[in-house]
Amino acid sequence: MDIIAKEGGKDSAIDSVIFSTWGGHKFDGRSAEGIEKSQKAEQIPFLPEYFKQNSPLKALIGWDGIVLRDENVNIVGLCNSYMKALSEASCGKCSPCPGGTRAMSKLLDRLCQGKGYKEDLFHLKTIAETVMETSRCGIGKQGPGAILHALDNFWEAFEDAVDNGVKDETDYFSKRTAPCTEACPIHLDIPGYVDHIRQGAFDKSLDLIRSRLPLPGVLGRTCFRPCESNCRRANMDEPIAIKALKRFVADEALKKGRTPPHEMNISEKTGHIAIIGAGPAGLSAAYHLAMRGHKVTMFEMLQEPGGMSAVGIPDYRLPRDVLRYEAQLIRDMGVTINYGVRIGRDVLLTDLERDYDAVFISVGAQDSTPMRVEGENEGYLGYIPGIRYLRGINDGYDPYPEGRRVAVVGGGNVAFDCVRTALRHDKDDVSIIYRRTRDEMPADSMEIHEAEEEGANYHFLTAPVRIVADKHGRVTGLECRKMELGEPDASGRRRPVPVEGSEFIFECDTVVSAIGQRVDLSALVKFEGVETTDWNTIVVDPVTRQSTHPKLFAAGDCELGPDSLITAAAGGLRGALSIDSFINGKPLDYTTEDHFEALMKHLKLYDENETMDQVAKKARESFEVLDVEKRKRSWDEVEKSFTRAEAMAEAKRCLHCYRVATVAV
Amino acid sequence: MIEINGKACSFEKGDTVLDVARANDIDIPTLCHLKDTTPTGACRICLVEADGANNLIASCDTPACEGMKVQTHSERVVAARKGILELLLSSGDHYCLLCESNGDCELQDLSIEYKADGRCLPETGRKSSVEDSDALILRDFSKCIHCGRCVKACNEIQMHDVLSFGHEEGSPKIFAGDNETLRESDCRFCGECVQACPTGALLEKKALGKGKVRDEQKVRTTCPYCGVGCQLWLHVRDDKIVKVTGVDEGLPNKGRTCVKGRFGYDFIYNKDRLTKPLIKQKNGEYKEAEWDETLDLIASKFQTFIEESGADSVAGISCARSINEDNYQMQKLFRTVFRTNNIDHCART
Ligand SMILES: Cc1cc2nc3c(=O)[nH]c(=O)nc-3n(C[C@H](O)[C@H](O)[C@H](O)COP(=O)(O)OP(=O)(O)OC[C@H]3O[C@@H](n4cnc5c(N)ncnc54)[C@H](O)[C@@H]3O)c2cc1C
Ligand code: SF4
Ligand code: SF4
Ligand code: SF4
Ligand code: SF4
Ligand code: SF4
Repeated sequence: MDIIAKEGGKDSAIDSVIFSTWGGHKFDGRSAEGIEKSQKAEQIPFLPEYFKQNSPLKALIGWDGIVLRDENVNIVGLCNSYMKALSEASCGKCSPCPGGTRAMSKLLDRLCQGKGYKEDLFHLKTIAETVMETSRCGIGKQGPGAILHALDNFWEAFEDAVDNGVKDETDYFSKRTAPCTEACPIHLDIPGYVDHIRQGAFDKSLDLIRSRLPLPGVLGRTCFRPCESNCRRANMDEPIAIKALKRFVADEALKKGRTPPHEMNISEKTGHIAIIGAGPAGLSAAYHLAMRGHKVTMFEMLQEPGGMSAVGIPDYRLPRDVLRYEAQLIRDMGVTINYGVRIGRDVLLTDLERDYDAVFISVGAQDSTPMRVEGENEGYLGYIPGIRYLRGINDGYDPYPEGRRVAVVGGGNVAFDCVRTALRHDKDDVSIIYRRTRDEMPADSMEIHEAEEEGANYHFLTAPVRIVADKHGRVTGLECRKMELGEPDASGRRRPVPVEGSEFIFECDTVVSAIGQRVDLSALVKFEGVETTDWNTIVVDPVTRQSTHPKLFAAGDCELGPDSLITAAAGGLRGALSIDSFINGKPLDYTTEDHFEALMKHLKLYDENETMDQVAKKARESFEVLDVEKRKRSWDEVEKSFTRAEAMAEAKRCLHCYRVATVAV
Repeated sequence: MIEINGKACSFEKGDTVLDVARANDIDIPTLCHLKDTTPTGACRICLVEADGANNLIASCDTPACEGMKVQTHSERVVAARKGILELLLSSGDHYCLLCESNGDCELQDLSIEYKADGRCLPETGRKSSVEDSDALILRDFSKCIHCGRCVKACNEIQMHDVLSFGHEEGSPKIFAGDNETLRESDCRFCGECVQACPTGALLEKKALGKGKVRDEQKVRTTCPYCGVGCQLWLHVRDDKIVKVTGVDEGLPNKGRTCVKGRFGYDFIYNKDRLTKPLIKQKNGEYKEAEWDETLDLIASKFQTFIEESGADSVAGISCARSINEDNYQMQKLFRTVFRTNNIDHCART
C-alpha cells in the first residue's frame, strides 16, 4: 500500500520552489538570490513534494497563481493544459467566459504547436483581462489570472513558443472544485446542484447529488454542514443554505412521486459482497457497489435501515419515512437487506469472509461512553446511557416512564436529542448538565436555541461526580461539582477545572449520560489479521478503507469513532470503489482524485479573511420553523422545507465559486 | 435614493439598479434581460461601476440599496462592454451581410455603438450550423450568443419547458428537449423564443428572403383567431405580411401569441380563398354572385321562415375574424330586428 503524496521534508519543499505567485505574493528565484529561507517561506505556499508516489509535484497553476519547482516545465505548455481544463469547466451560462476561455485555449494550443503569432500574446492578455473583468463566477473571474502572471513574468518563453513551439513531455492533471465542495466530505458538486435549482431544474439537481450520495433527504435534514462553514458567501452576508436546498430537491421528488434514475456503470468483473450494518456507511457502499453491478447482501441486527440516523436521531428532526424511502430505492437496485441478523452471534465474520468475495464492515459506534462517576455501574433504575434512551424512544417506548425530572449530561448534539426527546414526553423538568459554558458547547447553535425555547434548563460549569439512589436502587439525584474555566486544552477550548468544596446534589429521578459513543467490536469476534486501535476502531488505510486483512474493508464510525453521517457515507463510497477494484484484480492505488484531495488540503480554498464587495448583499432565505407551542410536545418535523420560489431565490445567492487547478508531474 | 451618473433617483424595495435606471430614462444596454422574467445576469452587458465595489456589478441582478452611487458609462464600463461584444462576435459566425437579422439585431446595434470589432480576436465559434427541421422556425447556432432569452421565453412566459442550457462538444448550446430538433421535441411552435431572440439565431422561416428590414412597415391589429383578442404587429414588406409579433405593451397578451396568431396567416394569400359570395343553384352547383343579389336573397328567405315558423327558426353565427363592431352589429340585428336570441360566435364554439 503506498502512502499518499509522500511528505518530503519541509525544507526541501521550500528549497525546490523557483517561482511563485500563489496567494498574492510573488517570489521569483531568478532575481532573489541570497534570500533568507524564512522570508521565502512567507512568500510561497507550503505544498507537498510529491503529487503521487514517486511523481514529484513539478508545478501548479490555478485560481490563485502559479508555483514552479522544476525548470524543465515549460510555462506555455502548463498554461495550455490549464486553459483547456478551464474552458471545459466553463458552464456557458454567462457570455464572456465560454468564448473567452475557448479563445485562449485555442491560442495557447497553436502556440504550443508552433503555429502561433506574436500578436497572439497580446490577444491572450486582452481576452484574459476582459473575461476576468466581466464574468459572473469564479471560473471566469479568477481563472485567467494565472495566465496574466505567466505572461508578465515569462514573456520570453512565450516568444520562444511563437518561433519554436513547445516540446512537452510533462504529464498534467487538472481538477475542478469549489470551497464548499472541497469541504464536503463526499465532495458533492454544490455549485452545480445549486445552479440547477436556480434555473428550476430540480430533477437534474437531485440526480447530480444522487450520483455521489444516495441519502439526500436524510443529509438534507441532519448534516453538520462543513460546506456552509466554508462558503464564500459568508464573507458578504450569510452562507448559502446548502443543506436546506438539498432537502428541498429531495422532498420535491418525493412529493411528485418521481423515482430518480440510477446511472448504472457495470464493472467488467462483478462479485458478491457482504455488508455488516445498514447505517449510512453501509447503505452508501451498497448503493455504489450495486451501481457497478455487484451483488450485495446486507446484515443488520435491527429491524430498520439507517443505523444511528434511524434509532439515534429523533423523528422531529428526521421523519422515518424519508429514510425508509431512500433505503427502499437502494433495495430496488437489487440489494438484499437481512434484518435481525447480528454478525458475531447469528452468523460469524469468519463465515462471511469465507462465503463472500469481500466484506464491508460498517457497524458504527453503538456504545455510550461511560461518565466515570460513582454509581454508574450499580444498575440503578433511572440511570440510562443516551444511546439506549434514544433507541428506546425511537422504538416507540419511554425507557423509564416513572421518571419526571430528567438530567442529561453532555453538551453535544446527542445530548440535545435526548433533551428535546424527553421534553416531548412531557417531563416536569428537563435539564442539561454541562462542564463548560454555552460558548464551548459542540452542539449546533440552532439546537441549543430551539431546545431553550422548548423549555430545557441549562446548568453550565457543572460536572457530575456521583449518581445518588435510594435504598431500592432508584435514582434520586446527581451529585455535581461547580467548575471554572482554566487554560485552553489541545482542542483550543478552555479546560474546566473543579472548584474545591462546591459539591451539591441536583435533584432528579432520571440521569441520561450523553457524553459520547464508542465502538464495540466484541460481537465481531477477534478476527485473525484485522488490526484494531486503542480506541477499538478498525485500522484501515485512510483512503482505500482496506483493513489489514485484504478481503475486509471498513468505514464510518467503526473506522473513525463517533463522527457524522456524511463522513460515513463518504467512507461508504470510497470503500465501494476499492472493493470494485479488488474484485477486478486491480491494485488498490490511490486515484488522481485522491491525490488532488490531499493536495487541496494545502491550498486555501476558503479564506475567512477574504473581503468581498458588499453592494449586492442579500440575506439568506428563511424557511418555516414549527411554532414552539406546537412543536414542544409533538414529534412533527420542526423545520419545514423551502417553497419553490424560496429555493430558487436562495440558489441565486450562490456565487458559483468553481476553481480549477492543474499540476505538472 | 440612489445616484446614477450623478442623478438622484428614488426606488422601491425590490427594484434592481436596471429598473431604477430605466424608470429614469438612463440607458443601460442589455442582451439577456427579458421583460417579465427572472434576471439571470448572464450576458454581462449591463455591468456598471458602483462606488465601494471592486468588481463591476450586473445591474439587472443587483437590488438598489440606499446610498448607492452608480456609473453606467465610465471608461472602465465602456471598455468592459466592448470586450464582451468582441468576444461574442468572435465566438460565433457574425457575417451580417448574409444574415436575415441584418438591421434588426441587438448585437449588431450594440457592436456599432461600442465600436466592437470581433475580427481582432481568433474565431472560436461554430461555423454555420443550421437546424432546418420544420416549416416555421430556423435555428442558426453559429449566431447564438447564449443569452438565454429563448429559454426564459419558453419556460417562464409560455411555460412550455422545452428549451434549456446544454453543452455539445465542449461548447454551450441551447437544447430543445434532450438536444433534439424542435420538431422532435415537445415544442408547440408558439414562436415566443424567436420573438425573444436578440440576434439572428432564431428566425421565422416564412420571412426568409422577403426583402430588407429597413423597408418594413408595422401594422397593429387584433388576432383574428379567438376571443382572447391578442394584440399583434403585422410586419409588412412589399404589401405582404412577412411575419407577426405580439405587441409588448398591448393587453391582454403583453407580447405573447400562440402558434395560430403568429404563424397562421397564410390563408390571406391563398388563391382558393373566397372573395365573392356563391349561390347554390338548382343543379347543386355554386355560382358566383354580386353582394346585393345575395343579400336580397337571404333577406327574402329569412322573412319567409320567420313568417311561417317564428323568429327562432333562424340563427346567426358570426366570425371571430371580423372586427368587434361587426360582431356587435350582428347580434343587434338578431336580437332587435329578428327578435331571436339564436346568435353565437365561432370563438365560443
Ligand atoms: C443521537 C445521535 C444523533 C446524531 N445526530 C447526527 C446529526 O444530526 N448529523 C450527523 O451528521 N451525525 C449525527 N450523528 C452521528 C451519526 O449518526 C453517525 O456518525 C453515523 O450514523 C455513522 O454511520 P455508520 O454507518 O458508521 O454507523 P451507524 O449509523 O451506527 O450504523 C451501524 C449499523 O450497524 C448495525 N450493527 C452494529 N453491529 C452489528 C452487528 N454485529 N451485526 C449486524 N449489524 C450490526 C447497527 O444496528 C447499525 O444499524 C448522531 C449520532 C447520534 C447517536
Ligand atoms: S463558468 Fe461562470 S464565468 Fe464561466 S460561463 Fe459560467 S457563469 Fe460565466
Ligand atoms: S457561494 Fe456557492 S459556490 Fe461559493 S462557496 Fe458558497 S455554496 Fe459554494
Ligand atoms: S446575428 Fe446580428 S450580429 Fe450576428 S450576423 Fe446577424 S445581424 Fe449580424
Ligand atoms: S416555439 Fe414556443 S414551445 Fe417551441 S421552443 Fe420556442 S418558445 Fe418553446
Ligand atoms: S437562440 Fe437567441 S435568444 Fe436563445 S440564447 Fe441564442 S441568442 Fe439568445
